Amino acid sequence: MIELPVIDSFAANEETPRSRYWRSVSQFENSAEFQRVSGEEFIPGASNAPEGATRRQFIQLMGASMAMAGLTACRKPIETIVPFSHMPEDRVEGVPVYYATSMPFRGALRPVVVESFDGRPRKIEGNAEHPESSGACSFFEQASILSMYDPDRKVKISHSTVDSDWGSFKSFVSQLSASSKIVVLAEASSSLTFAAARRRFEERFSSVRWVTYEGAAGNAATRGINAAFGTSARASHSFSDAKVIVSLDSDFLGSVDTDSVSNATGFSASRNVEGSQEVSRLYVIESGYSITGGMADNRLRLKSSEIASFAAALAKAVKAYEGDAGVHANHSWIGEIASDLTRAGSTGLVVVGDNQPAGVHALAASINSAIGAVGTTVHYLDAGDNAVDFDAEMAAVNADIASGNVDLILTLGVNPVYDFPGFADLYSKVAERIHLSLHQDETAQLATWSLPQTHFLEEWGDGRSRGGVHAIVQPLIAPLYDFAHSNLEIVALLGSGAEQFGYDLVRDTWRNQLSGDFEKAWRKVVHDGFNAGPGFSAVSVSVSKAGVQSAMADVSVSAHSGIEVVTRLDTKVFDGRFANIVWLQELPDPTTKVVWDNIAQMSPKTADNLGVQYKLEGGKYITDRVKIEVGGGSVDLPVLIQPGLAEDSIQVTAGYGRNILSDRAIRSTNFFDRDEHTDVYGNGAVSTGVGSNVRSIAGPIATAAVTKSGAGYMVASTQDHGAIEEEGKIVQKRGLFRQATVAEYRANPNFVKGGEPKPIREDWSDYPTLWQESHPTKTAEITNSNYHDYQWGMVIDLNTCTGCSACVVACQSENNIQVVGKDEVSRGRELHWIRTDRYFVSGDGASFDSPQMVMQPLPCQHCENAPCEQVCPVAATVHSPDGTNQMIYNRCIGTRYCANNCPYKVRRFNFYNWTRTLPETVQMAHNPNVTVRSRGVMEKCSFCIQRVRQVNKTANLESRPIEDGEVVTACQQVCPSHAITFGNVADPNSAVSQKRTSDRRYELLAELNVKPRVSYLGRIRNPNPNLA
Amino acid sequence: MDKTLAHLADFHDEAPLVKGNLTFHDITEIVSSHTEKKTPLAWYGAFGLALSGLMLMIVMIAYLFWNGTGVWGLNNPVGWGFAIVNFVFWVGIGHAGTLISAILFLFRQQWRTAINRSAEAMTLFAVICALVFPGIHVGRVWAAYWMLPIPNQMGMWPQFKSPLLWDVFAVSTYFTVSAAFWYVGLVPDLATLRDRATGFRRKIFGVLAMGWTGANRHWRNYEKAYLLLAALCTPLVLSVHSVVSFDFAVSVVPGWHTTIFPPYFVAGAIFSGFAMVVTLMVVARKVYKVENIITLDHLEKMNIVILLTGSMVGFAYIIEFFIAWYSGVQYEQYAFINRMFGPYAWAYWTMMTCNLFFPQFFWFKKLRRSIPFMFTISIFVNVGMWFERFVITVISLHRDYLPSAWDYYTPTFVDVLTFVGTFGLFFTLFLLFLRFLPMVAVSEVKGVLPQADPHFYDHEGDGHGADHTLDVATSEKKTAH
Repeated sequence: MIELPVIDSFAANEETPRSRYWRSVSQFENSAEFQRVSGEEFIPGASNAPEGATRRQFIQLMGASMAMAGLTACRKPIETIVPFSHMPEDRVEGVPVYYATSMPFRGALRPVVVESFDGRPRKIEGNAEHPESSGACSFFEQASILSMYDPDRKVKISHSTVDSDWGSFKSFVSQLSASSKIVVLAEASSSLTFAAARRRFEERFSSVRWVTYEGAAGNAATRGINAAFGTSARASHSFSDAKVIVSLDSDFLGSVDTDSVSNATGFSASRNVEGSQEVSRLYVIESGYSITGGMADNRLRLKSSEIASFAAALAKAVKAYEGDAGVHANHSWIGEIASDLTRAGSTGLVVVGDNQPAGVHALAASINSAIGAVGTTVHYLDAGDNAVDFDAEMAAVNADIASGNVDLILTLGVNPVYDFPGFADLYSKVAERIHLSLHQDETAQLATWSLPQTHFLEEWGDGRSRGGVHAIVQPLIAPLYDFAHSNLEIVALLGSGAEQFGYDLVRDTWRNQLSGDFEKAWRKVVHDGFNAGPGFSAVSVSVSKAGVQSAMADVSVSAHSGIEVVTRLDTKVFDGRFANIVWLQELPDPTTKVVWDNIAQMSPKTADNLGVQYKLEGGKYITDRVKIEVGGGSVDLPVLIQPGLAEDSIQVTAGYGRNILSDRAIRSTNFFDRDEHTDVYGNGAVSTGVGSNVRSIAGPIATAAVTKSGAGYMVASTQDHGAIEEEGKIVQKRGLFRQATVAEYRANPNFVKGGEPKPIREDWSDYPTLWQESHPTKTAEITNSNYHDYQWGMVIDLNTCTGCSACVVACQSENNIQVVGKDEVSRGRELHWIRTDRYFVSGDGASFDSPQMVMQPLPCQHCENAPCEQVCPVAATVHSPDGTNQMIYNRCIGTRYCANNCPYKVRRFNFYNWTRTLPETVQMAHNPNVTVRSRGVMEKCSFCIQRVRQVNKTANLESRPIEDGEVVTACQQVCPSHAITFGNVADPNSAVSQKRTSDRRYELLAELNVKPRVSYLGRIRNPNPNLA
Repeated sequence: MDKTLAHLADFHDEAPLVKGNLTFHDITEIVSSHTEKKTPLAWYGAFGLALSGLMLMIVMIAYLFWNGTGVWGLNNPVGWGFAIVNFVFWVGIGHAGTLISAILFLFRQQWRTAINRSAEAMTLFAVICALVFPGIHVGRVWAAYWMLPIPNQMGMWPQFKSPLLWDVFAVSTYFTVSAAFWYVGLVPDLATLRDRATGFRRKIFGVLAMGWTGANRHWRNYEKAYLLLAALCTPLVLSVHSVVSFDFAVSVVPGWHTTIFPPYFVAGAIFSGFAMVVTLMVVARKVYKVENIITLDHLEKMNIVILLTGSMVGFAYIIEFFIAWYSGVQYEQYAFINRMFGPYAWAYWTMMTCNLFFPQFFWFKKLRRSIPFMFTISIFVNVGMWFERFVITVISLHRDYLPSAWDYYTPTFVDVLTFVGTFGLFFTLFLLFLRFLPMVAVSEVKGVLPQADPHFYDHEGDGHGADHTLDVATSEKKTAH
């Protein structure tokens, strides 16, 4: 199984000596008798019985049989992690080791590097060496660590709700008849090994219907491209080369986009204003308000159901379409966008959102071809994507089940009972229902065989990235639960009838993949996590006008009357698969800032028309609920009124309303003990009962009957709602967020200074600071310290920050930030160390109904004159010699004075003991280098001081200065737009110092003379001057 | 007929401070009897109520300790809520007693003698109520003593730049000195009680009276000590609330960072303290039938102080607004606009009405001598002054610099019941005081009796020592030579 070349090579290399000494002939000849005599300590018969088992043999046998007896209680040792008999080189206890692996997500592998502490995977980051990552990753990858340590994971195998075991399942599999009629629902997979296993499976059974399960995600894009080109291709966008970008209902910067990370990286590159090159221009036409809409230079709010018409008109304007454009044929924006696109030519780009019908994707493909963008900003790759209409396929499956033509249904990691409307009844009609999943989820509760699934950090696998780079999935840890198996292993077991191990299967596949010395090449792949090489090849495409026409045939381009409801994948929990990850549940939605809920977003006017409203009661957002009815289905959701949405368009997200059964004991406490507040793991699975499942309403875009159904529902959000107009003015007046258009910036590069609040008489700097005379940073203890040579600072570029909030989760993972739950968030007690402030901006060309949305990440500003430090009575927050402001947790007594005195309000207080009752597995995700805070202690961003000190140590041991860029904060590391720069501000050549010389730089609330170490670079918009 | 000007000034041109032509013995009898008679049933009722309040407070604090600060309504922008509001409120109340005892003593305001004992007791009990909060409001109560400069193996001192630390020193000093002052003043009266008592009570008072015999030497030492302590207390009266105001004034929070705070806080404290004294005295003088000692004149004088300090406080409110506008600092301007029209406007206008508007009725002599009216006003002032602290603490915090961080503070039942409970603590102590100690400074009141005038028994012992037939011109002429 495991090949151990190290031991084998030792044995082989034992040399024969040049000369030999011997005592007797029999020794020289090495006769059998000599061996018998010399093998024992004493001559035979001297110390043991002349016949039967010797004393030693007896004890050996007994020991062995006892060990074997003990072993039966253990699981079979597979790829076990054993204690070191030889300590591996370079391994130091307590120093983390990093492994490259990949996260399978939506049919592709996302490259990640996992930090492992003493065999315990702890933090997931992007794989900087992978061509598609540059070290960044979305919060799905980062948060997925918590899904492995999820205390609600399925532990046991159950057969018809009775506990069973692996052996019983294996014998069940071996008895399956080859003529069983089988349906398999599995997610798209790019794995070669899995494909091979699938082939064997399909060979064993005569009747297999294998459906690539898309769930709520759908595959409209693939079908649209297929229609336009007559061939299946995957669109890969290169935003860095784009100068004019048109997004049609596409949130390409948002987490749900399959390429969100590379999109954000590319887009931020196209927004570079430092040089003289052209800044890209982004048009966003959307019904909701996405973070992409926030980044737009010109944003048009339009019902999703009318975007097809807009797309058709645009396509007609660039001569890419001949059909009827319908209601928006003469929209005033069409001409402007079309001429911009035509001017941009090969640097133009049109992207379409996943929830738009295939016809609109076909139109976009046609436009991109017409303007010559194919090959520069968009590449069509031969990725073998499934272009089959998923709904039609499922209809066929349903019909088969209904007619009793299915003996066995196998669902691999997908959850159709939850997210395919009406599937539950049919599912139970199948005789044998095998379901593999992480949780005892909706489908598992109805399955006959419910099997626990391995997390990707516990399994072997392989596949290809979005761009087609071959990569592997390697385990960081043995499965936490003995019975857990991967998709691959289950399919292999079903296919062969015998148990096979992921490692062997993957290696077998890769034997054919790698050339040269396999072992060497394999080790490199395992080390790198991927096999560097060309990705998918581009397919040459030519537009079939007829294909586009026919794809558009069933797409309405007429005006939409009534209220549309747009179902999208949720930014945080996706289609529900991440719903049990508490970091994501508590992550404020990037645009709405709502946590622990799904909501029906609508514009203020639409809410007025529907007669629904909200009120702020005690700082809580108390809102009405609406019943949304589409066809036969309906869903009841709380309303969130969000400006900037298209009128009569209601935005809902999938992924909530989960029903997971957890084995975790329900916590019972004394009446005076508010333990239910001490963490979110109090009662059942954390995602059960959060929000409502919207999958019963047909999507993604539908006409709905909406009625008010209730009132008084509390939605928890991390930003106080309401007072939007007033707030906007205040933000403007206080110069908190400063922006200009490209033209304004070129004319006045120092525009940010105009945003500085003006002092009346003396300059702000003329006001001396309190304690200026004996400023703590001037004391000898600080200036003489070795740390003093490095002065850490940060610059955040608001021009590229999209507000995607990946930094928030990265920070949470790095710094052991606890999750407090909906109720506590609604009280304003969330603990995030970095928050993304979202402001709406009206005026200046934007109306209240259609305001701009801007994002501002806010970590601790590490003020040089920190107001928090001078008010702490116990000196629990002090300045470090390297210029950061640090909390000394064990000295803090929790007066909260520092938090009151912080003008940025970045300090967070532990109102309860959030860690006392934390399940053990969740604690395993904690960073051992960061203190876990107790109750009654203040905490805040530390500039990842543990990372700084680690580099300090390394550099010190190597007697060298710290290189620029050697210290990377967690937020900086994952930022896909590279908006965060961190480094030594004392070194004028460091990247951060360079950024600090930017004319766009300003400090937040500089007039308070607190001298923040974090500065911001003003945002530059590039709106089309002809469009207001 | 030699008359001195002193005669005129000291006694005879003013109404007597003690009414009803009481003798020395009457005074002793009136005051002492309450501590000696059988405990009335009403006292038990009142005490039971107060004690339940105290128990409530203890239960709430235990609940807080067990679970954590989260049981209060605090949140991220509003790190200080009821606890600090209550702290400042009670410290403020605790101002009147020492002011009456010390400052008015130094200014020779003889009328203070009727009320100083109970006012001082009120001060002590109010400060005890206040001192509950700094200890329990911290997140890690078991480490609250780290605020004290206790030598330790780490060589860590508290952070002396923190106003919270100044607070610890200021309030504890104030409490210690006030307690000493109060006790010193009690000694002669304790001796009186000792002399009247028998059995066990006699022993207790014997110890407490510290061997007082009323000897001339005792009186001399007593007067000196009292004078010295009064001199020591006077700056403390001003300093303690100034220092409390530094908690706010030294910070950067708009609405807190105000130089007017020290005098404004002191005026507010005296204002609320006097209102509390009026509230308590109006009831106590009736219940204990000491109307002749604590007369309407006394109450009127206190109402005048309330009018004065209330107007000072009101002036400060208006000046704050003016300065916010005049400073040109937009954060400051917004903070004050937000007070008036923001989500907490109700709290602001409650404060304004109670503190600025209602006391203005005391311009009318009739109203300031009306017992029911002054009682009502004094309650309003107490409410208003609590809201003043709420306005300053909570409204300033809930919306400061970055709109993204704004939130709203709602107290929980624990907040409210803890506050209610402190009244239980206060009245428990106050009722014990009324039951066991002389509520009026017997020896001092005797000193201001008309009979205390050495010439009281001149002129046929009519009780009017001075010759009222004398016209002013004559007396001036007489004193001229």
